[in-house]
Amino acid sequence: MTADALPAGLRERVLTAARELRAPGRTVPDVPDISPVEACSRAADAFLRLLTALADADWRRPVLRDLDVAGLVGHLTGVEDDVQRALDGDRDVACVDHVASTQPAADHAASRSPEEVRRAWRATADRTLERVRGADLDAVERVHGLRLPLGALLVVRAFELWTHENDIRLAAGLPASVPDAATLRRMTELAVRLLPYGVARVSDPVAPLDVHLVLTGAGGGTWDVAVGERTGPAPEVAIVADAVGFCRLVADRITQADLGAQVSGAAGAADVVLAGAAALALD
Amino acid sequence: MESSGSFLAARLAAGDDRALAEAFDELGPAVHAVARQILGDAAAAQDVVQEVFVDLWVHPQRYDETLGTLRTYLTLVARHRAQDVVRSELRRSAREERHVRLVPLPPRRSPEQEVADADTASTVRDAVRSLPDDQRRAVELAYFDGLSYRDVARRIGIPEGTAKSRVRLALAKLETMLGHELLEPS
Repeated sequence: MTADALPAGLRERVLTAARELRAPGRTVPDVPDISPVEACSRAADAFLRLLTALADADWRRPVLRDLDVAGLVGHLTGVEDDVQRALDGDRDVACVDHVASTQPAADHAASRSPEEVRRAWRATADRTLERVRGADLDAVERVHGLRLPLGALLVVRAFELWTHENDIRLAAGLPASVPDAATLRRMTELAVRLLPYGVARVSDPVAPLDVHLVLTGAGGGTWDVAVGERTGPAPEVAIVADAVGFCRLVADRITQADLGAQVSGAAGAADVVLAGAAALALD
Repeated sequence: MESSGSFLAARLAAGDDRALAEAFDELGPAVHAVARQILGDAAAAQDVVQEVFVDLWVHPQRYDETLGTLRTYLTLVARHRAQDVVRSELRRSAREERHVRLVPLPPRRSPEQEVADADTASTVRDAVRSLPDDQRRAVELAYFDGLSYRDVARRIGIPEGTAKSRVRLALAKLETMLGHELLEPS
């Protein structure tokens, strides 16, 4: 028996009844909605737990660029300081380079004890969180070349903390960590929202494309994203990938091949989209 | 695109309704064949197919690939649902048979009463036909087929609360169209 042998109209009836009970895009199980402040706070807590568990020798392990663990934590301390300056309306941090601006803080950390470096980072991270609790999350902030609503900026912070937490885990030979579903959902949502901008960084001009993106696993979801200028009907590409893997790609910590996304539709377009995702990485 | 059961289930859990369409296109005929084989009745078999795929969409996590393929899982669910329908029909028939044996036949009605009743029935049928499809189906199953709210919900593939609210909405509309007295049993 083939699909054609089914009674006429049954397919539509079944799909309509299903969508009536659960709207497309709604995940199962439901993921609790948390605020960007909470997402950032949870990422900071996870980062602190890792730092607390490290042995002193681990702090001197090379991690990223020319930084060891202490230097990387110093870099993050510098990022928090710049975010606070942005919150104060300091335009000097609006367009500075993310790495260059924080290099003095990274260098300073190299000459301090692990305990001092950890305390300094935690204190400034707490100050950021204290500042943003109750703040207008729609207010646009400018820092390190980003121009984002405060809520989105806090999710970027959560993203960066999780990424560097895993950089350190890798350097220390510890297993990778995965954010809780609610925090991850915030991260995937933001990455998908910024995807057209990432594509614009790697493709000029940007050909119109409809992207049906499905990210599987807790914290994932389904999105339809329009990329490029609309002048009429656009070709479509469907991409299915693991949600955590997609976030690692967005952090530029894995390659497209590592992600192993399932693709159908416009040939070659998926490569551009995934390259655009990786182009969203800060460093 | 890969279509293994666990991959489809992961897509369904992520809210990808295209995965449901793909699952239906691939496995709908097998599910329908099982239901039809057990039930014989075409309409009832379609109801079972709807229940099976709606359940897959709402509860994709119930599928466990370690226990078998998605085809095996769905045809098994279809078999159980169809058997439930058969059992439910048997129970209903038995109830009706007992009812017929216990209840005395009503007194014979006059020709004038028969004509008046036929007019009333025709008016009610017309009013029911004018309802939105989802409400019409619910009220037909509940009042004309005598199903409980639970059975109406299962037949249509909706939650019991939704079935109740559809019937209530339908009755409210019918009352507006027909007047209260026509809806009251005589």
